[in-house]
Amino acid sequence: MVFLGGQVLPGNVGRAILGPFADQRAVDALNHSLGVDRPLLVQYGTWIWNFLHGDMGTSYIFRAPVAPFVIDALGNSMKLALVAFVLVVPIGILGGVIAALNLNRPLDRIISLGGLSVTVLPEFVTGIILILIFGVWLRWLPIAAAWPKGAGFFTQLYYLILPSLPLFLVLFGYIARMARSGMIEALDSDYTRTAVLKGLPWRTVIWRHVLRNALLPTITVIATQTGYLIGGLVVIETLFRYQGIGSLIFTAARGKDFPMLEAGILTIGIVYAVATLVADFLYSVLNPRIRLGAEQ
Amino acid sequence: MSKNYRILDLLRRGRTPLENHLIDGLIDGRISRREFVRHGSLLGLSLPLLGRIGMAAGFGAAPSLARAGAPGATIRIGSSVPAAAIDPVTIADAGGLVVMQQVAEFLCVDGPDLVLKPALAESWKPNADGTVWTFTLRKGVKFHSGGEMKADDVVASIDRLADPANSSNALSVFTGILQKGNTKKVDDYTVEFHLDAANGNFPYMVSSDNYNAVIIPASYKGDYEKSFDGTGPFKLEKYTPKVGASFVRNDDYWGDKALPDRTEFTFFTDIQPQILALQGGQIDIINQMPVLAGVALLNDPNFEIISLKSSAHQQLHMHCDEGPTKDARVRRAIALCLDREKLVAGLMKGRSALGNDSPFAAVYPSTDTSVPQRKQDIAQAKQLMESAGLAQGFKMTLTTERYLEIPEYAQLIQNWVKEIGIELELNILDQGAYYGDAVFGKSNWLDSVMGITDYGHRGVPNVYLAAPLKSEGTWNAAHFKNKDYDQLATSYIAALDLEAQKATAGKIQKLLLEETPVIFGYFYDYLTATAKGVTGVQPTAMSQLFLEKASKA
Repeated sequence: MVFLGGQVLPGNVGRAILGPFADQRAVDALNHSLGVDRPLLVQYGTWIWNFLHGDMGTSYIFRAPVAPFVIDALGNSMKLALVAFVLVVPIGILGGVIAALNLNRPLDRIISLGGLSVTVLPEFVTGIILILIFGVWLRWLPIAAAWPKGAGFFTQLYYLILPSLPLFLVLFGYIARMARSGMIEALDSDYTRTAVLKGLPWRTVIWRHVLRNALLPTITVIATQTGYLIGGLVVIETLFRYQGIGSLIFTAARGKDFPMLEAGILTIGIVYAVATLVADFLYSVLNPRIRLGAEQ
Repeated sequence: MSKNYRILDLLRRGRTPLENHLIDGLIDGRISRREFVRHGSLLGLSLPLLGRIGMAAGFGAAPSLARAGAPGATIRIGSSVPAAAIDPVTIADAGGLVVMQQVAEFLCVDGPDLVLKPALAESWKPNADGTVWTFTLRKGVKFHSGGEMKADDVVASIDRLADPANSSNALSVFTGILQKGNTKKVDDYTVEFHLDAANGNFPYMVSSDNYNAVIIPASYKGDYEKSFDGTGPFKLEKYTPKVGASFVRNDDYWGDKALPDRTEFTFFTDIQPQILALQGGQIDIINQMPVLAGVALLNDPNFEIISLKSSAHQQLHMHCDEGPTKDARVRRAIALCLDREKLVAGLMKGRSALGNDSPFAAVYPSTDTSVPQRKQDIAQAKQLMESAGLAQGFKMTLTTERYLEIPEYAQLIQNWVKEIGIELELNILDQGAYYGDAVFGKSNWLDSVMGITDYGHRGVPNVYLAAPLKSEGTWNAAHFKNKDYDQLATSYIAALDLEAQKATAGKIQKLLLEETPVIFGYFYDYLTATAKGVTGVQPTAMSQLFLEKASKA
């Protein structure tokens, strides 16, 4: 699909590398040496064959094997996603829970409205504002997310705080809202009333009965956001000069660098699949009904 | 100051008639000192000699800008991500060529004042008709890999670029000028270039102006990123594609050793993060800053802007073979709608120079400045439309690329031409979609009835005169076919003598004003931003950055 889609776009690899003002003979020579002047099926066949043998191919643009680029970028993306994740998931859920427990009181309004307002701001807006505040004026945090070579865990973490903040802002409202509505529904349910009437302490009711049920839809939402957090951060990666897989795919697509593009997209596909699998698994842990259903 | 004829006579001895003619021009006041220095350097006269002649002709000593800074700094530069693997043969983008130029050098360097300065070549000379140029190489120049740079390396480096089988990006410069096999070794330190036709500006084609033309070992077989070999004042320390590069001083350098201990290049995909990084103190220099993006820095006292006059510009082409713009009167009418002063002062914040609808920018010494500047004149434009039978106006599409200030420029044009009844629909495309395959029939750039295209800086107008305007030109988006023009362009390119170049330039300028296949609204400056206290940084408008004299306060 990607392969065919890319062929329809105007321009070719040689032209993308040499620029519009290069001599056509030079472009033809380069296309020939890269092998992109061969029939489409032959190119596709070669690529699939090599891929199945564990060879992701050689980048047209960088003239180097694709695998290290993709692996590095994926690693970087996962680090950033993880930091954002660790920040936003507990705080988002906590926010939702607090909001639900204070339903229609000022605290609920602040969390719901505030969360939604920052969610609708695009990340390049919040990103620039955050850079200006923390990077340019206060100079507390580094502007570029690329840490020095050989940096330890805490240094890397320090460099990742600023870029993960806009992601936090984008996702917080979303997750908090899901958690809040799940909580409200669960608080309103018969089993909660029963649990309360049974005389269980409030804390136990919330922890064992309400939260467990309330979080199910939230987990689905979080799982669907994982793909975005790993592959969809082109803007954040550009703004913070971060070598993630989103911008890798973006530049590959622009330069018609198919080996890179294919490998990148396939990798993200795998990440999506894994994230969904993990979500399903968590779902079954929290919801015994699904587990039992599977055993029957 | 008075002229010292005795010294002048001494200095004239042994000079060629061409060189003496140039000296006469200076003495008689037909050419300015600046033109004299620039053209003298082109003919291969050394800068000290040009300075002595200038003194004897009563011009005083040339101002010296050199100021030695403190050695030992680490200079941090923000530049754009190299678009592809760095290879002297294929390289085509600013991000890549600035990295390559840190380690590899040219025969001569086209400086910020467009004066050629010797680098790996000590001197050069044309034969009488400008068909053979002889370059004398510097002795004792060592590659980072150890060997001495000799004629064989020069021949191989240039031949590699002139070979159509090599995916060479310099082929568009060398086509019709220099063929593979015509760069000849005379001895280890002398090389002759046998040209296809006379060319008065040839040294620019092997200078930094032709950014591919670095001299690397004859044994080079590709994969430049493995070696980064060259003769430059810096050696590569580390290169990480898409991320950055660092360099250290080359202690075996043939010239003055570089002042900085290290330089660190950080690659950015966008200009905005570069500006934030400079403001946040994480980099010291932004190599290339477009004026619109950099407005915030232009008047900020914490930063300095190095503003180089350049010949970079946006060409607004109009098809001369179809539609309403087939009529030259209509093309002139459109050109008369532009308020160029407003473009220069408003759109470009004063960081540009007026264009007069020909490639002859004010920076070129050969430009005939007596040709009147075209100004906004709506009344005359309306008259022209009427005489073309189009007083009621018409509709057409302006296709262009999303790059720099072009979309804003297109909107201004759209507003201006409304006054003479022309309704322009804007079709602003991603750069890839605009250029397409960059051949006629498969490119919005070359096939659109009207379009705006960005052209980078060149030290001499030769390329602008040929490919976009000659009848058979490969970038002739205007489909302009004019035999008189072709002849004039050929004779301009062949002329060795500055006054002959000027005379032909005047004729070309007038012809292009009459025909107006392409509107040249303004020529924009090349801007480099530095943090305060950073000195000795020398950019060129080709996006090269010379850092050997850089220091930090």
